[in-house]
Amino acid sequence: MKKYAGLVPLISLLAAFLIVPLIFMLLSSFQSDQTGTWTMTNYTEFFSNSYYYQAFFNSLLITMVSCILGLTGAMVLCICLLQLSEKTQEKITFVSNLAANFAGIPLAFSFIILLGNAGVMKLIMPSLQAFDLYSWWGLGLTYVYFQIPLGVLFLYPSMRELKKEWAEVSATLGTTSFYYWRKVALPFLRPSLITTFIILFANGMGTYETAYALTGSNVNLLTVRIASLVSGDVFAKPNMGSALAVLFGLMMITLMSIVGRKEKK
Amino acid sequence: MKKFLVTLTLSLFAIYYLSPLLATFFYASSTSWEKSILPDDFTLQWFVQLLGDRAFLGAVGRSLLLATLMTMIVFIVLVPTMIWIHLYFPRWDQALQKIVLLPYAIPGVILVTALLRTYSKSNIPMFFVLLGALFISMLPIVYLGISNQMKLVNMKELVEAAETLGVPMFPIIRSVLIPNLKVGTTLVSLMVFSSVFGEYMLTNLLIGGRFETLRIYMLRRMNENGHVASAVMILYFLFLLVTAFSIFYFNKKQTKKIVVREKMEEPVYEKLLNHS
Repeated sequence: MKKYAGLVPLISLLAAFLIVPLIFMLLSSFQSDQTGTWTMTNYTEFFSNSYYYQAFFNSLLITMVSCILGLTGAMVLCICLLQLSEKTQEKITFVSNLAANFAGIPLAFSFIILLGNAGVMKLIMPSLQAFDLYSWWGLGLTYVYFQIPLGVLFLYPSMRELKKEWAEVSATLGTTSFYYWRKVALPFLRPSLITTFIILFANGMGTYETAYALTGSNVNLLTVRIASLVSGDVFAKPNMGSALAVLFGLMMITLMSIVGRKEKK
Repeated sequence: MKKFLVTLTLSLFAIYYLSPLLATFFYASSTSWEKSILPDDFTLQWFVQLLGDRAFLGAVGRSLLLATLMTMIVFIVLVPTMIWIHLYFPRWDQALQKIVLLPYAIPGVILVTALLRTYSKSNIPMFFVLLGALFISMLPIVYLGISNQMKLVNMKELVEAAETLGVPMFPIIRSVLIPNLKVGTTLVSLMVFSSVFGEYMLTNLLIGGRFETLRIYMLRRMNENGHVASAVMILYFLFLLVTAFSIFYFNKKQTKKIVVREKMEEPVYEKLLNHS
C-alpha cells in the first residue's frame, strides 16, 4: 500500500489538469452557449455554419501544403547534406534544429521586417511589391520555414541508413537513378516518410502562435478560431469552442495512434 | 556538376534561413534602414533603451520565474515518481506512457479550452492553472527523456544488484541513481527551462496581459517599435543559441557513454525531444 503513495502527486496533477478538464470540455461541448441546456447544436452548427467548417478546411489546406513542401524540402536538404563531410553535416543539422526553435513570434516578426508592408526585400526588389505577407502565401512561407527543420530531424537519421552501395549496385546493373529512387530508396524510406508526414501534419494543425503573430485573428484558422471562442472576449462562445476542440482532438488522436501502430511494426 | 547543384541548393536554403535572422539583426542595430541593401548606420541605442525598460526586465523576470518554478516542479514531482514507477510498477509504464504522450497528440489550444472551461469560474488562481498547464505540456519531453536515460543505464539491474548486496535504499539513490541519471536529467531540465522561458500560447490565453512574459512583451513591442522589438529577438536568439550549444554538448556526452552498446531502435517520439 505504501508503494502506491508515491504515485499520488503525479496522478493528482494528471487528473486535475488533464483528465478532468478534458471530461469537462467534452460535457460542455454538448451544452448550449445561450441557455446552458443539453443539446447537439454545437456539433450541428459546425457542419452547417460555413464560418466553422471553413476554419477547419483552411487549417487543413495550409497544413497539407506546408507538409508537402516541408517534406520535399527536408528530403532535398538531406540528400544534399549526405554529400558533405560528417563534420559539416553535424554543423548544418545543428543550425537546422536551432531554426526549428525560432518558430512563433520571433519568426513572424523577422518575416515582417523582411517582407512586410515596408519590408526590406520589398525596397530592394520592387518586383516583390505585390507579395502580401499577411495572406495565405505569407503564412505558407513561414509555415514551411519551421516545417523543413522538423522534417530533417525525423528524416535525416533514416536517410543516413541508405547505403551508398545500393545506388552503386543499381548503377552497375544499368538502371537509371530515377529507377533506383522508385524501386530501392523510396520503398526503404516509406515508413519514416509517413511518420514524418504525420508529425509535420500535427505540428501544422496545432500552430497558433506564428499565425496569430502574423495575422492576428484575421485569418480563419481552426486554432485561432477556437482560441477566440474560448478566451473570454465579447464574442466568447466557450461551449462552441469546446465542440470544435473535441472534434479537433479526436482527429489528432486518431492520427497519432496510426503513427503509434506503425512504430510498433 | 553534382557538386555545383549541391552547393546551389544549400545556398538557397541558407538564404531562406539566414535572411530573416540577418534582417532582424540589422534592424536592431540601426536607427533607420530604408532604400538600401545595408542599413544606414550602426547603433546599440535600442539595446540600451531595452535594458533600461522596466517592462522588459519585468517580463524576463516573469519568464525566468515560470521556467525556474517549472523545472523545480518537474524535479520534485515527476522524476522521483518516474523512478518509483520504473522500480515498483514497471507494468504501469505502458499505460502511463499513453496518457503522458497525450499532449503531443492534442494541440495546446485544446488544453487551454479544457482548462478554461473547468477553472475560469472557480476560485483557483489562474496562475496555478497555468503552472498545471505548463506541467502537462512538459510531460512528454520529461517522461521520454528520463525513461530513455533509465533504460540506457539499465537502472533496474543496477538497483537490484545494489539491493542484493544489502545496500539500503537511500544510499542507492544517492550513489547509484543520481550519478547515472545526471546527464539525462540535465538535458531534460535544459529543454524544460528553455521551452517554458519562450512559452506564449498557454500563458497568453490562460492569464494574458495580467502576467506579461517575454513572448507577450515581444508581441506588444512588435506593434510599437520595430527596432526595440528586433533587439528583444536578438537577445532571445542568443539565449536559444546558448541553450542549443549546451544541449548539443550534453547530448554528445550521453551518446559517448552508450556508444559501446548496440544501436537501439529510436522510437519516433524520442527525436521530438531534441526538437522540444
